[in-house]
Amino acid sequence: MEIAVLLISLTVLFMLGVPVAFALLGSSILCFLAMDIPLVVVFQRMAAGVSTFSLMAIPFFVFAGDLMYRSGIATRLVQIAEAAFGRSRGGLGLVTVGASTMFGAVSGSAIATCSAVGSTLIQPMREKGYDADYAVNVTASAAIVGLLVPPSHNMIIYTAASGIGVSITDMFLAGIIPGIITAVLVGLVSWMVAVKRGYPRGVFPGWNAFSRAILFAIPGLLTIVVIMGGILSGIFTPTESSAIAVIYTIVIGAFAYRTLGWAKFRQAAAQSVRVTAMVLLIIGAATAFGHALAILQAPTQLADLITAITDNPILVLLIVNIILLVLGTFMDMAPLIIIMTPILLPVMTKIGVDPVHFGIIMILNQGIGLLTPPVGSVLFVASSIGKTKMETAMKTIWPFYGALTVALILVTYIPQISMTLPAMFNGK
Amino acid sequence: GGSGMRVLLSSDTHPAGYPTVEAVQEMGRLLSERTNGRLGVRVYAGGQLGAERDTLEITTFGGLDMNRVFMSPLNAIEPDTTIPSLPFLFQSKDHMRRALDGAPGRAILDTLEKHGLIGLCYYDSGERSFYNTRKPIYTPDDMKGMKIRTPNSDLSVATINATGANATPMDLGEVYQSLVQGVIDGAENNWPSFESGRHFEAAPYYSLTRHVMTPEVLLMSKARWDRLSSADRDIVMACARDSVPFMRKLWDERVEGARTRLLAAGVKENEVIDRAAFVRLMKPVYDQFVTTPFQKRLVADIEAMAASS
Amino acid sequence: MKAHPIQRIARFASNALIGVAATGLVAMTIIIGWQVIGRFVLGSSPSWSEQAAQVLMIWFAFLAAAAGVREGFHIRIVALEEAASPRIRRLMQLSASLVVAGCGLAMLILGGELVMRTWEHTIPSLGMSRGFAYLGLPISGALIVLFEIERMFFPAPEPETTVVIE
Ligand code: NA
Ligand code: NA
Repeated sequence: MEIAVLLISLTVLFMLGVPVAFALLGSSILCFLAMDIPLVVVFQRMAAGVSTFSLMAIPFFVFAGDLMYRSGIATRLVQIAEAAFGRSRGGLGLVTVGASTMFGAVSGSAIATCSAVGSTLIQPMREKGYDADYAVNVTASAAIVGLLVPPSHNMIIYTAASGIGVSITDMFLAGIIPGIITAVLVGLVSWMVAVKRGYPRGVFPGWNAFSRAILFAIPGLLTIVVIMGGILSGIFTPTESSAIAVIYTIVIGAFAYRTLGWAKFRQAAAQSVRVTAMVLLIIGAATAFGHALAILQAPTQLADLITAITDNPILVLLIVNIILLVLGTFMDMAPLIIIMTPILLPVMTKIGVDPVHFGIIMILNQGIGLLTPPVGSVLFVASSIGKTKMETAMKTIWPFYGALTVALILVTYIPQISMTLPAMFNGK
Repeated sequence: GGSGMRVLLSSDTHPAGYPTVEAVQEMGRLLSERTNGRLGVRVYAGGQLGAERDTLEITTFGGLDMNRVFMSPLNAIEPDTTIPSLPFLFQSKDHMRRALDGAPGRAILDTLEKHGLIGLCYYDSGERSFYNTRKPIYTPDDMKGMKIRTPNSDLSVATINATGANATPMDLGEVYQSLVQGVIDGAENNWPSFESGRHFEAAPYYSLTRHVMTPEVLLMSKARWDRLSSADRDIVMACARDSVPFMRKLWDERVEGARTRLLAAGVKENEVIDRAAFVRLMKPVYDQFVTTPFQKRLVADIEAMAASS
Repeated sequence: MKAHPIQRIARFASNALIGVAATGLVAMTIIIGWQVIGRFVLGSSPSWSEQAAQVLMIWFAFLAAAAGVREGFHIRIVALEEAASPRIRRLMQLSASLVVAGCGLAMLILGGELVMRTWEHTIPSLGMSRGFAYLGLPISGALIVLFEIERMFFPAPEPETTVVIE
């Protein structure tokens, strides 16, 4: 009964166009009323959901990503990628994938990756005769790589939601190879589509320009060395590393690149609080919503249901992936991680899937959700940078969905892709 | 609801199968047996309803009927609950159990009523001892300058610093790596946690200081308690009390199992030589945390119960 | 045309919220940075820093989220609204506004209750009231109500800024 109140009211509020956070909050309030639990609990859960220490990585990684974008680090990374891939047919597509992978490796957020690389490359692509839909689709799909290569604040949300002490360091290490595989597959598809559409070759800028680009990009690229080196050597924790990333970016932006002034800094801070306030409000509301689900024992019931259908790990993983993909079309990554992790993790451990491995599956799966309407933030950002309607981009995105789905299947069914690096560093 | 059966919702951060979870389930079994199924307990294990600090607040609001928590998170709500966490307060496990099951323990639980919580009973959380990567600790001198991880609580920090070591507050999840990398020299905990966190692999010297025996507690929301008939309250209280020996048996087995496995795995266990020296060093801690006449009387009463063992 | 007092108050409040929240983010960065440096230089990290940064995060998240109601940056599903006729669309927008205002009101009243009921609890290592950490909720709730009232009487006060998340 109460669970019907929860899910029906949520659906209605979503359809009315109520913002996601308030829809989650409103349906939680109704459900708590139906369960006869004091409503003040809703707001306790909401505030507690926001004040988890590890979630502090969200504002910091978003802030760092925004600062990197404003201080032009993306431009330097694009120059490297241009020198490496520019000469190939449809080379700017590959340049986008390469630059996104590098920017994703220094920034904790796919949105930052998408907006930084997109605003640097979509316009040049249009000028050289690439279609807008192609430019948008490549940019959006390549940004998903940034979710997998560390740092990644969504991995931190996952470890917080798991509640069983999944190591953030292990998650960061586990994402590297899946990230590279995804980048290669997306790159392959963008090259194939470009060749089919007959997009032009670029010109090699010469070894001099290439080495200059690398030299200029070094301070920016060192961010990932600082972050992963600091975490792996125990100098700071993953959460602390996000604050260090901010400080490091300010230092190189202001002193190495000399492109970051007071005005840009203020804009970055203001824009970052907007993004994080929205994410955190959704996380807070999702925590209250998840509390209602937990009281109603939805996790155990869904787990029982899935295991009643089959206990074959291959099929269970297939079912879980399909559930997540469907939910990912109309819900955003953060609330889905908060709500679905406690529900699905027990099923996963039951069939012998490592929580770290499942975390990577979840991140990649819901990364695809960022490209699927009606709620698909990354596709939305890329479309607005590309001044294109999302519907137009959607019509030709299917090969990119294909690449990401193949990556998801590989990551789901070959645990070694994710688990080899964490095992190496833990001496197992 | 109208079905006549009232299920009390209870939270626990320990996973299913843990002694506290089993004990609360046992309490629920006794409860439904003795009320002919009118009352029962459903335990939400593994922290699915939130961290202890949060579920405690929710319990005070009446959003949860029962809650099994470690004693320390209660300190932020009621300073008198700090008393059982004082270092070297209990001379032995037996002393701790008698004091907490007796009048001093009851008096501490009763301080929670004004905060909307009814204390039902104490469970064990074991005796905490120091372990480190370097050498056995026999006297406080052996600890001088060692970096010891503590939970992020003022009392724990003060306790470790009073021994002459350097307290390093740190999340439990980061301890293993920090021991391996030498960021810290040691930590302190009971045998089962020493084993489950794999800390023994890096820090094989376990010195039986037994310096802290902070208990776990089972609480009921006052909002729910006030809605029970006085006969049902007595039944609830009795069932909680009867679950305590059940819990302690499971706990003792768990401790013995962990200890046996760890000794076989090469952990070096040693008794301290000079407990009195440690006790003397704790004076400033007591001066800082035992301030009111009520708190001083509690400490005196508990200390007086040591002799009768 | 001169803006109505409600619009002027709302604009001032919304800008102030973002400014305060941005300052809070910078303060958080400094605190956590200091925690790392402190451990490196002094050999121990301050025990208050994590707690302080967490309190700042609750405050700035809820304050900036209120501003988001006015700036219209909270993500939502617009597909159905865009497909609807203008009359239905206006009706949907009005009901969505009422829902958000209702949530704001609940945040004000029940967030206020949360503050009062935890005012006596202390935050470990910070010595500050737990209720103070939650105080951002009722304040944010009150402002959300204000912003929705503005929106109901003066639709689309400013072009919606778009912020997107992952
Ligand atoms: Na990344
Ligand atoms: Na989607």
